[in-house]
Amino acid sequence: MEKNTYDAIVVGTGVSGGWAAKELTEKGLKTLVLDRGPMVKHGDYPTAMKNPWELPYGDEPTQADIARWPKHTRPSFYGITQSTKHWFADDIDNPYEETKPFDWFRGYHVGGRSLMWGRQSYRLSQMDLEANGKEGVGVDWPIRYEDLAPWYDKVEHFIGVSGNTDHLAQLPDGDFLPPMDLNCVEKDFQSKLSDRFNRKLIIGRTANLSAPLKHDQSPQRGTCQYRNLCMRGCPFGGYFSSNSSTLPSAERTGNMTMVTNAIVYELIYDNDKGKATGVRVLDAETGHQTEYFAKVIFMCASTFGTAQILLNSTSTRFPNGFGNDSGELGHNIMDHLFGTGARAMVEGHEDRYYSGRRPNGFYIPRYRNVGTDKQKYLRGYGFQGGAGRQDWTRLVQEQLLGADLKQAAEAPGPWYVSMMGFGEMLPSHKNFVTLDRNHKDKYGLPILNFDAAHQENELMMSKAIVEDAVEMLSAAGYRDVNSFSMQANVGAGIHEMGTARMGRDPKTSVLNGWNQMHACKNVYVTDGSAMASSGCQNPSLTYMALTARAANHAVEELKRGNV
Amino acid sequence: MNRREWLKNMSVLAVGAIAGPSLLAVFDAHAASQKPDAKPQFLKPAQYTLVGAVADIIIPRTDTPGAVDAGVPLFIDQMFFAAYTKEEQTRYLTAMAAFDKAGGKPFMQLDDAQRKALVTKLHTEALAVPKGKTPPPAADFVMMSKKLTMMGFFLSQPGCTQVLQYAPVPGAWHGDIPLKDAGNGKSWAVETSLKI
Repeated sequence: MEKNTYDAIVVGTGVSGGWAAKELTEKGLKTLVLDRGPMVKHGDYPTAMKNPWELPYGDEPTQADIARWPKHTRPSFYGITQSTKHWFADDIDNPYEETKPFDWFRGYHVGGRSLMWGRQSYRLSQMDLEANGKEGVGVDWPIRYEDLAPWYDKVEHFIGVSGNTDHLAQLPDGDFLPPMDLNCVEKDFQSKLSDRFNRKLIIGRTANLSAPLKHDQSPQRGTCQYRNLCMRGCPFGGYFSSNSSTLPSAERTGNMTMVTNAIVYELIYDNDKGKATGVRVLDAETGHQTEYFAKVIFMCASTFGTAQILLNSTSTRFPNGFGNDSGELGHNIMDHLFGTGARAMVEGHEDRYYSGRRPNGFYIPRYRNVGTDKQKYLRGYGFQGGAGRQDWTRLVQEQLLGADLKQAAEAPGPWYVSMMGFGEMLPSHKNFVTLDRNHKDKYGLPILNFDAAHQENELMMSKAIVEDAVEMLSAAGYRDVNSFSMQANVGAGIHEMGTARMGRDPKTSVLNGWNQMHACKNVYVTDGSAMASSGCQNPSLTYMALTARAANHAVEELKRGNV
Repeated sequence: MNRREWLKNMSVLAVGAIAGPSLLAVFDAHAASQKPDAKPQFLKPAQYTLVGAVADIIIPRTDTPGAVDAGVPLFIDQMFFAAYTKEEQTRYLTAMAAFDKAGGKPFMQLDDAQRKALVTKLHTEALAVPKGKTPPPAADFVMMSKKLTMMGFFLSQPGCTQVLQYAPVPGAWHGDIPLKDAGNGKSWAVETSLKI
């Protein structure tokens, strides 16, 4: 037992787990870090330097790929390509059930989805953290912006976030690296939105290094090379991932022990102590079972990964899942409304172009139900988009063949602009995930069954997103304005949240204001499952800030002998 | 260390650090399928010859390499072999058979001018079909072959680097510059891909 005993255990190595590992080890805790998948060391990115012609099948999935990843090939920001498919969990070996259709996109390897994330990094605002309480939706967040602000500062400083200081109350500024340029059409759209709607269009805030970091803790990270191939993993360390950033820091302390292929399937509860004492682990390759012990446990296995483990951890004290006195564990699933927007063609600007491939777009921050704007639905949405010049694909429908076709392809095409809404989804007890104990995966572990759908508020908002996108592009004077709507299920935004929410009252929430379980103080949950509401901002930055804050709290509480 | 040296170091790191043998094996297999002496796996020899002849009309060799130089026939073969569904395979082969009859005698027995004229005529016919509708089979074949030829060619090394322009590691982003200052002023081979 002694050799398997640590000060802390961190379950998962994505954005949250990486931060927990770094903070806990830097504060001197001997920390065991577990990941269910194989090791990926920074630089171990097999497709990162491949040219387009070095990838088979035009980088498209084969029929064999589609058979292996029937769910991951659904429309989303991800998708299976030859250059990225090795980062995605196999749907055949890792099944889940869908009472209602649900898109669950997973990366089972060290670094998790921090390797493939979209890198957009926005703070929640006071408005977002107050909304539940003011409107009587879900439960009030037990924290406010001032609780998070210093931790946002810390995280942004460490990971490096490129962005502009925009002075918007609904989207607080941060500690930014220089902003990336907008192109000429994006600037044109920006000024028209400002004139005609008094709405802001800003450059996206992204965790790519537009300049060197302002600290010397990450010598392995270089500046962004503007290849826009981030999802393959960046050998330059140009964007933040656990692999390029937090895990190397944790490693350097000498306090981290990492065990890979370690599927945590249960938390161990000690009735006498009233605490969690450790975790039970199954080796993904050998099936060998091991118990590990620690004073404090950080659950960072992703929203549904954590829910699955907690629901599977039953005892006489917790017959309905670990820490589930409230009955809210697994409930209140949120994602962002995703997949609807509009595009248009833009005349002129033919003598302007760009060079490099910017891994970022523009952002139109939320303006609905902000200030004096009042809508029939609650909350709001932001738009993410970009403008560019059309490539050779425009010539397929042109009367061109032979040398003429080749010559036409040499010239950059006309400008287009497109944008998609990301809308806030309200927490609802009716959106939940359960464990199906009759259906097990190849490890013999019960699988998840999803039962979540967009409700009235989301449906109203979804319509408004399309109407606004069309209205803005039309008012800007662009032509061929067309709306689009992907067949996106809940989950397609890959911003899943809410299954172990924070709150003030143990009767209605799973975690307190420090991400600490109400019912078991030495278990912290700091991934997306902690979220009490979703905002409409990309949430990863908030998970990192919550994790750093919770790790600091855990260490203080350990010192005080409270956990 | 100047930027050039630094880049060189970084790419050495990238190559040296690739460890996962299981992943490497996958990509070795892919690389093997891309060797120039690789044989078609889906198309029969006569079909492969026909596809090559059509691809050559769509993107011929000029002062830069053409579709055949860029390995497009093999690319098309591989796409049907692995990436497309049974239905798509059948659609292509059915359309090809119709196309082979459309010129009065088998396509490969026509002379160069006749071949070009036939492909051009069917291309025009396909473009006249309203959006969302499938053209008649022979014209459908020309359109499918055009799309596939363009895709294979503009992802190929000659397509990317000699017809378009390609920067594997741009190193910087300039968002709003005169067209003449954007490299050689040609279209970038790989767009900033916010494909939504």
